Amino acid sequence: MDYFILLTVSGIAIGVIYGLIGMGYALIFKATSVVNFAHGEIMMLISYMAFSIASSWTLPFWGLLLVCVFISAIVGLVIERVFIRPMLGQDVFSTVMVTIGLAVMIRAVVVLIWGADPLLLPTDIGDSGVEFGLVFLYTSQLYAIGLLAFCVLGMWVFLRFSRMGVAMRATAARETTALLMGINVTHVYAIAWAIAAVIAGISGVLLGTIYGLGPDLWTQGLRAFPAVILGGLDSVFGAAISGILIGVLENLSEGYIGQGLKEISGFLVILVVLMIRPYGLFGTPEIERV
Amino acid sequence: MLNVNNVQIVYDNVIEAVRDASLSVDEGQIVTLLGSNGAGKSTILKGISGVLYPEDGDIIGGTITLNGESLIGRKPDEIVRSGVVMVPEGRQLFEPLTVEENLMMGGITRSRSGATEALENVFDIFPRVKEKRSTIAGYLSGGEQQMVAIGRALMSSPRLLMLDEPSLGLAPQIIAEIFAAVSDLSKQNNVSVLLVEQNAELALSIASYAYIIENGRVVMDGPPDKLMDNEDVKEFYLGFSESGHRRNMRDVKHYKRRKRWLS
Repeated sequence: MDYFILLTVSGIAIGVIYGLIGMGYALIFKATSVVNFAHGEIMMLISYMAFSIASSWTLPFWGLLLVCVFISAIVGLVIERVFIRPMLGQDVFSTVMVTIGLAVMIRAVVVLIWGADPLLLPTDIGDSGVEFGLVFLYTSQLYAIGLLAFCVLGMWVFLRFSRMGVAMRATAARETTALLMGINVTHVYAIAWAIAAVIAGISGVLLGTIYGLGPDLWTQGLRAFPAVILGGLDSVFGAAISGILIGVLENLSEGYIGQGLKEISGFLVILVVLMIRPYGLFGTPEIERV
Repeated sequence: MLNVNNVQIVYDNVIEAVRDASLSVDEGQIVTLLGSNGAGKSTILKGISGVLYPEDGDIIGGTITLNGESLIGRKPDEIVRSGVVMVPEGRQLFEPLTVEENLMMGGITRSRSGATEALENVFDIFPRVKEKRSTIAGYLSGGEQQMVAIGRALMSSPRLLMLDEPSLGLAPQIIAEIFAAVSDLSKQNNVSVLLVEQNAELALSIASYAYIIENGRVVMDGPPDKLMDNEDVKEFYLGFSESGHRRNMRDVKHYKRRKRWLS
């Protein structure tokens, strides 16, 4: 039983990060119908930027996070303006290809600037942690759980109550009608990219603090992908919950069955789930009224 | 107020959908645009609204002016701000959103307080919509959806309302209700209406001027009673023969009777 609890809790700790990353994928897909394959890379880029900032100035963790939120919003806006907006009106598939190209570029640029050696993101919370009975959690892992909850709540309020959020949902539902009603669709897209980049930035800083930086950090983006599919590509909250689910599942399958399973268990689960619910656990099936 | 002059619209640079279409709508007037499928009616409306570009359409000739100012090349949101708004064919509601959210999106170009005010106006015009304000729009009946679609367009307090086939797929009673609402609106609030319809009889009954469009050209125009007297209009749009009675389909010899305006 102890072993089970241990696996579950550490699964949740990594799962919340999958959830955060997944929310970014889902938001961009929901607003623009593009799967952003560069999401993991954007996250890596920002965590390396965080490294540069943290090693130049000594900032407390929250200060660093705040700075990174600003930077990532700008990164998101720039990427949207330079790479995505020129693709407006083109086939969605072409835009997806652009994100794949962008992913490769960012990987190369990161190695070019910061080198290929693993680095540690220096923060003031370091190795501190709290013990809950037999489970020990790092402060950074606790922060990760709190930040996911905060992001989920923030997104919910944004999408439900703010005009921009409702406009984003409207654009996702019917783009041409959104144009007809006078919604500035390019604006909506830019905001979606900025918010997704902010979420990527938060997850990047957390990953850097908990696990350190390396040129393969982007693979975490890929690892989080099953969470998005499982939750339903267009469900931001589904991605958050499924992230935790996938994290726990990975840990349990590794702990009880065997080493290699950690990498594939998430994908195995989505195979099964998609057979039963093709739009994911929390995705919206199309409304059909006869 | 609105003047469309010799407009020519092409899709994909080669397919000509509208050629030399001219029409005008005056303040507070209901003008109807009649024509069969594919005649180019909806394309003209899209051209006025500035939403041709997502479908690779382009206006390559002519002018569209609202009170003397050109609308061509302006962004859709600027056109809505200038007072021209369109209710698209087939309602096109934001299905996953609630009715109230749908309506509020129609008022996105206005301030929040302006939009809330407009919301009350829409609820006054369509009381049935108020009852359903927190329902998911996709689950409404067709008639209710059409009311929401018109209400959503009214949220921007337009001076010109363009309706693309509002009667499509609705029961006659609902159609009558909606047309009455549109007619009242035009009279009371001095809103101009450009109505695209396939149902000619219905459209001619509320319009003060009508245009008939075929193969992308305006082929005939005039006040409704003049058009209704025309033999060709009677035959092809109203379904009456010369004597004013419905003709047995067996007697109709389409090849013998040509539309005179096409020669």
